[in-house]
Amino acid sequence: MTNLEKLNKIFCEVFSVEEAALNSEFNKDNVEGWDSVHQLSLTTSVEDEFDIMLDAVDILEFTSYDNAKQVLAKYEIEL
Amino acid sequence: MFLDLDKKERLRIAAIDDSGQSITYGEICDFSIEFAKHLPERALIFILSENQIGSLLGYTASLSNRIVPLIISAATEENLYNHLFDLYQPEYLWLPQTKAEGKKVLFSAWDYCLVKTGNQRPPMYEDLSLLLPTSGSTGSPKLVRHSYRNIEANADNVRRLFKLDGSEKAMAVLPMHYTMGLSVIASHLLAGATLLLSNRSLLDKGFWATLKEATSFTGVPYSYEILTKMRFTRMDLPNLKVITQGGGKLTESLWNTLAQYAHEKGKQFIATYGQSECTARMAYLPAEKAQEKVCSIGIAEPGGELSIVDDNGNETFEGEAQGEMVYRGENVTLGYATCREDLLKGDENHGIMHTGDLARRDVDGCYYIIGRLKRFLKIFGLRIGLDEVEQMIKAEYKTDCYCKGNDEKLIVLVTDARLQDVLPSFIEEKTHLFHQRIEIQVVKEILRNEAGKVINQ
Repeated sequence: MTNLEKLNKIFCEVFSVEEAALNSEFNKDNVEGWDSVHQLSLTTSVEDEFDIMLDAVDILEFTSYDNAKQVLAKYEIEL
Repeated sequence: MFLDLDKKERLRIAAIDDSGQSITYGEICDFSIEFAKHLPERALIFILSENQIGSLLGYTASLSNRIVPLIISAATEENLYNHLFDLYQPEYLWLPQTKAEGKKVLFSAWDYCLVKTGNQRPPMYEDLSLLLPTSGSTGSPKLVRHSYRNIEANADNVRRLFKLDGSEKAMAVLPMHYTMGLSVIASHLLAGATLLLSNRSLLDKGFWATLKEATSFTGVPYSYEILTKMRFTRMDLPNLKVITQGGGKLTESLWNTLAQYAHEKGKQFIATYGQSECTARMAYLPAEKAQEKVCSIGIAEPGGELSIVDDNGNETFEGEAQGEMVYRGENVTLGYATCREDLLKGDENHGIMHTGDLARRDVDGCYYIIGRLKRFLKIFGLRIGLDEVEQMIKAEYKTDCYCKGNDEKLIVLVTDARLQDVLPSFIEEKTHLFHQRIEIQVVKEILRNEAGKVINQ
């Protein structure tokens, strides 16, 4: 599985959506139920999957699909 | 006036919300006068709450003018909202402007609107001040009925517990419709302090910016899981003096993290215990005991009294004991409402609350919650909740009753002889328990001891 596939799988599982739903519109304001519970579940899964430890500021940045990709780039995870 | 709001310095800031707007104590008082021009005393109003100034004003103005609000989340699921609306038929609504579309608005301020529904005013008990949904039962239309004294007593107890004064800036992020969120609000208003009202998620940058200003933070166990995950213990939060927790039990490891953090950084970690049936707070563990008494709920709050009733029915107030924890205090609410007619009910608890929690008290008088007493029978594999059955009977027949039994049969004590024949089929219909396993005993009176425990068993 590629890193992108891994990330997509995490998003799909956390929000119970199909992969096709993941685009640049997929963010905190557009996705119903995107609360702290979902966001923390997202970041915890990402940490486990990619074996990284996110800084607090980066956990706060996890407010959209695009942002998530940018954060991962910061940790040198190539997508 | 409610919470002596008119006795605070008029120019002092009472609340700041996410929009950056703020309101003074003087403006809160002025608003109450304005609000009262649009609706009469003893009206029933639903407040669809958000943690923002408009919502706060609906609360303070209602309570100041003897208007009775039910506070529910503005995000209440539609079916439940409709159910509550049909069940209690409020005469007025105070709701966010964004939800008022198509409704006839009488008055609006601070992004909130007053709407008249056309419903009639229900008769209500003269001392009924506020209705809140019961916590922990999402989707239930069961409400807790508060008196005016309940709210003032809780606010004062909490003010004394935390030694609050006007210099506090409390992070008020727990929702207003949640008993502990409202307790944070009422206690700080009584103290003349400033509320930092926020609707934000704890994973929102704005929350963390506001937290830097706060002198105290009140959270539930999950809040502290997030805070710990965000490694807040390493953050520089010089203004923060107190972290306090309620709404359930922390894990031992999270407890130790918080106690250690408070110890090292010179802050206070204060764990508390409460129920919505007692206007939020009931017990607290003094900060200096946090490292020693891990996961203890501590002692009764100022103004309250805790005891334990053991298996033999003996009630004790000190020394080691184990049994059901009982609380006494002026913050013990009037009782529940499950329908509009219940709003006329008076005080059913008389200042005593049997918490339903099984507790242990240590030799120093500190309490630990160790379980929950469950009053149920298991007959034919059917689970029969005794409290639920009692409530159904009381609601239907307006009689005092008491349920007991064993795994062979359910025994119902009633004072009204006419119910002898009708109750078995009523209970069968409601619980599906075969009626021949139900025994009705007519008694002259259901005798309760001082602790409210039934003694003619």
